[in-house]
Amino acid sequence: MLRGEHVMARLVRGRLVPHRLAPNDEQAREIAEALVALYVVHLGKPRARLESELALVEEEIGPRLDPRRGFKILRALSKLLEERSSWASPTETDPYTLRTRLFELAAALPEFPSHTGALLETETREELLSRVATETGVEDPAALMYADRQGAQLLSSFEPPSPEALISRYNVAQIQGVLYSAKDLTVDLGEEADARLIFHYVKLLGLIYSLEQTSRGYRLHLDGPLSLFNSTRKYGLRLAKLLPGLLLTAPWKLHASVSWKGREAILELDSEAPGLTSHYKGPADTGEGDTREAFVKAWKRAKDTGDWKLEPGVEILPVPQLKTALVPDFAFRNTRTGERVHLEILGFWSERYLIERVALLREAAKRGRRVLIAAPGSLNASPETLSDATQGDVIPFKSRLDAKSVLAALG
Amino acid sequence: MIELSYESGTLIWTGDAATGGKPPEPFIWDKRTEQWRAPASSYRETVLKLRETGTPYTDRAARFEKLSLESRVAMEPRPYQRGALNAWRKGPSEMRGVVVLPTGAGKTAVAVRAMERTGRSTLVVVPTLALLKQWYSILSDSFGASVTVGLLGGGYHEITPLTVTTYDSAYIHMERYGDRFALVVYDEVHHLPSPKYAVIPEMLLAPYSLGLTATPERPDGGHDLLPTLAGPVVYRLSPEDLAGTYLAPYQTVRIPVELTVAERVEYETEDAVYQDFLKKHRLSIRSPEDWQRFIMVASTSHSGGREALLAARRRREIRASAERKTATLESLLKRHWEDRTIVFTKSVEEVYALSTRFLVPGITYETPARERKEILDRFRIGRYRAVIASDVLNEGVDVPEANVAVILAGSASRREYVQRLGRVLRPREGKSAILYELVTEGTGEEAASRRRRESFAEAYP
Repeated sequence: MLRGEHVMARLVRGRLVPHRLAPNDEQAREIAEALVALYVVHLGKPRARLESELALVEEEIGPRLDPRRGFKILRALSKLLEERSSWASPTETDPYTLRTRLFELAAALPEFPSHTGALLETETREELLSRVATETGVEDPAALMYADRQGAQLLSSFEPPSPEALISRYNVAQIQGVLYSAKDLTVDLGEEADARLIFHYVKLLGLIYSLEQTSRGYRLHLDGPLSLFNSTRKYGLRLAKLLPGLLLTAPWKLHASVSWKGREAILELDSEAPGLTSHYKGPADTGEGDTREAFVKAWKRAKDTGDWKLEPGVEILPVPQLKTALVPDFAFRNTRTGERVHLEILGFWSERYLIERVALLREAAKRGRRVLIAAPGSLNASPETLSDATQGDVIPFKSRLDAKSVLAALG
Repeated sequence: MIELSYESGTLIWTGDAATGGKPPEPFIWDKRTEQWRAPASSYRETVLKLRETGTPYTDRAARFEKLSLESRVAMEPRPYQRGALNAWRKGPSEMRGVVVLPTGAGKTAVAVRAMERTGRSTLVVVPTLALLKQWYSILSDSFGASVTVGLLGGGYHEITPLTVTTYDSAYIHMERYGDRFALVVYDEVHHLPSPKYAVIPEMLLAPYSLGLTATPERPDGGHDLLPTLAGPVVYRLSPEDLAGTYLAPYQTVRIPVELTVAERVEYETEDAVYQDFLKKHRLSIRSPEDWQRFIMVASTSHSGGREALLAARRRREIRASAERKTATLESLLKRHWEDRTIVFTKSVEEVYALSTRFLVPGITYETPARERKEILDRFRIGRYRAVIASDVLNEGVDVPEANVAVILAGSASRREYVQRLGRVLRPREGKSAILYELVTEGTGEEAASRRRRESFAEAYP
């Protein structure tokens, strides 16, 4: 993420265009490469030295890239590289103990420990330093007394990105930077978009949503608790953190109201925008995907599914009190009665997770939605725990979920 | 039964139709989550209303606790400090208000008393990391026996019933902790009415608040919001009200420092290159923005830009590290070895360079809270004779025992200068304060020094 001062955007007729580096721009690629190389050669060297090198590069090649904003672009790029770095102390001696000893000894002298001539018998600075050197075994105490400062830290590891990856991260980070000043965010999710993933991030980030169904999918309106009273930029940072989450799926369109340097503006973006990739890894894969595919096959092979039909398209069932939504995997329609029942298949689960899911189901049930859960037998919970935790709302299965047990639960 | 609960900086009202119905203002129906919601700051008026009407309710919102806070530091309050405390307690909105006292008058002592009196979980909000560390130190001294002082901000994230935080951290985190404090103290409360920070009080249930400042007025008129955010001004004294009685006498000594011959020659050469460039491009440097402009013009100019940049940098280096300046400082440290001397520098790097050179402890924004407290404690009792600090000691941070101050170079801002003097001007029995200002002759620092003295005359006519 960039600092506020690195964020650049143009305002064109009320619309914000975040600054962007073209991935095929030779010069931008070269600069990205040069910066990465600079970090690599400074492995094991102090931070202050890297920083002064960076300052030189900023002044020298920055203006060539962009006469006005070159140095800012470079600073932003190195901020993103810094996120891939870690630092270590240059010494095993504790610099705090060392300097405190020096200060104490110096202050205890009857006269100021001067550099040059010794007046009377007072110790000079050099004598004092060599006394502490003998005492502590540190060769040059003056050089290490502030070794815990940030600038003295050594670059201990660095994960070099490719120039393309750095430029893409930069472009996403600039859009995120504009979103820092966003008051709210509207996302139109297409039907194929992974809504479950989106709600994973919405809940994680503590955002509040409201949901509307549209002809092509869903419209999510996102802000925070206090937005109810005044529009505030307080949730901008979280809205910005949602963006890489969105980039993990498609299709979507977003629209944000931004207060930009005292003016009201909008930011629009969609999943078609080229060259934007997420650096989020997404929620851990719990193996649900395979189970889902296997179930669809099993359902198709089943000879008799009664009046029940498996329906395409995923529906979002909002559960506003719990700040999230259920995105079941499947829906079944009873061709005779028109009843609709949803099914959610869990991957690996913990007891707590299962209880949370069941609480969601109960909320949905209050709103007239029937949702079934299918959960695999787990290594760490017996079937009894499972049914205790969920009071029988769960279809247990071993390795594959078959159509028969689902039909039995559908009734 | 009506139930109040706290959720992310807001207050939630739940009540079944029979007993609850529609809650009073300022609750709003939140369609998004299907709840009645109000800003957390409505807690006080809501509870008062419920009590007045004798409506039974369950309070699941407040998570603050009673604390037995008794200051270990025996301090006889000065009459005006007692007056300020009474005005706050008995003011128009009891235990909610702003106290205006000049720098050096002991605002902190008023706050410590207010905490003692309130005896409930307290949050202190301050503008800078320096003040964060300063308050940590004061509160640990006063109440450390009965509570652990928590810190939030500047790399610290420890919440206790007595926590110090910055405006920036409060803005980010208070929706998580806004239910834990009954009293909130805003130090330098004139920072609060900014569009950003004004959200902080909204997120806090705290029924009690105390604002402290020497200068509540804001050029943008934001002070009009103070009564809503922190409470009305309940007590006010100006520096004139205290001059003579409580603020110690002082003298200022300005020491011109000449460059050495070699430095002067080099300085003049570099300066000529720089000045030529400014003239050619019709630039003048009066503010940080002008400086930014110069950098921009110079870095894009095809002829002489790079040279001008280097000359400007070198010129500044010569001025900052002028050998005689360091030598003069050394002689001052020598002369005042028996006094308590505090040295202010222009940059953080200079603090570390001088600290290493003179073996005198340095304090900057980087110094950890505990070490900072240790240094200042030792300075106070005389175990350290001098301290070198960057701007970090600004804005009301006090070093009561300092009687000699040396300003190496600073920017010419009025508030800064007055407040720095405030440090040295802390009253102390039989103390004569001296303020030295070291200014390199024939360089831009002279003008800055002049501006500083003029603004001083303006503040203390």
